[in-house]
Amino acid sequence: MGVVVFGKSIKHNFSVKVGLAKTIFGIGYDTAERLMAKVKIYPQCKMNQLTEPQIMDLNREISQLLVEGHLKQKINNDIKLKKDIGSIAGMRHYYGFPVRGQRTCTNASTARRLNKVNRYRL
Amino acid sequence: MNSSIRLLRARSVWKGPFIVPLPIAQAIKNKTPIRTKARNCTIIPQFVGVKFEIHNGKDFVELEVTDDMVGSKLGDFAPTRKKFMYKYSKN
Repeated sequence: MGVVVFGKSIKHNFSVKVGLAKTIFGIGYDTAERLMAKVKIYPQCKMNQLTEPQIMDLNREISQLLVEGHLKQKINNDIKLKKDIGSIAGMRHYYGFPVRGQRTCTNASTARRLNKVNRYRL
Repeated sequence: MNSSIRLLRARSVWKGPFIVPLPIAQAIKNKTPIRTKARNCTIIPQFVGVKFEIHNGKDFVELEVTDDMVGSKLGDFAPTRKKFMYKYSKN
């Protein structure tokens, strides 16, 4: 059983703050807290206690933010721009190396995972 | 994006962008590249179209500033390290 918020199904026994932060890309605990305050949901509210108008309000507020696909697209574009102008940061992304002067002899696994020109597939 | 925000990045407003005095007016008039070692100079909108020669520790890297480069530093476009390439020996 899940509650559908912004086109995503969230488990019914999650608290609203955690549920929003964990399922929607671009919303963290802080943003979730602020959203809940704006829509007048009390902080300890669980997902299955939400009423229909509250979910509608949440959807409306979230749609005004830069989340999910649009945010991923923006991140991809920013990396691509850096590469296109030929800056060092762009080339480091292209090679999959850390950008800010970390070591590469060992570790650097996060950079190997994330630093690509097309970071998110859409 | 707002150009003033792009110029300042994380710097405070009263300081303004970090700029090193360079002979820009002369370079635009004569169309000669500016040879500089000031890698930490911010690229401001007046630099667009000017050619630079930026020191990378060994020699000078050529660069023509375009519109997208505004806000980054000159040193961002002159890499100081060579990429590692494995050299095959003959035997």
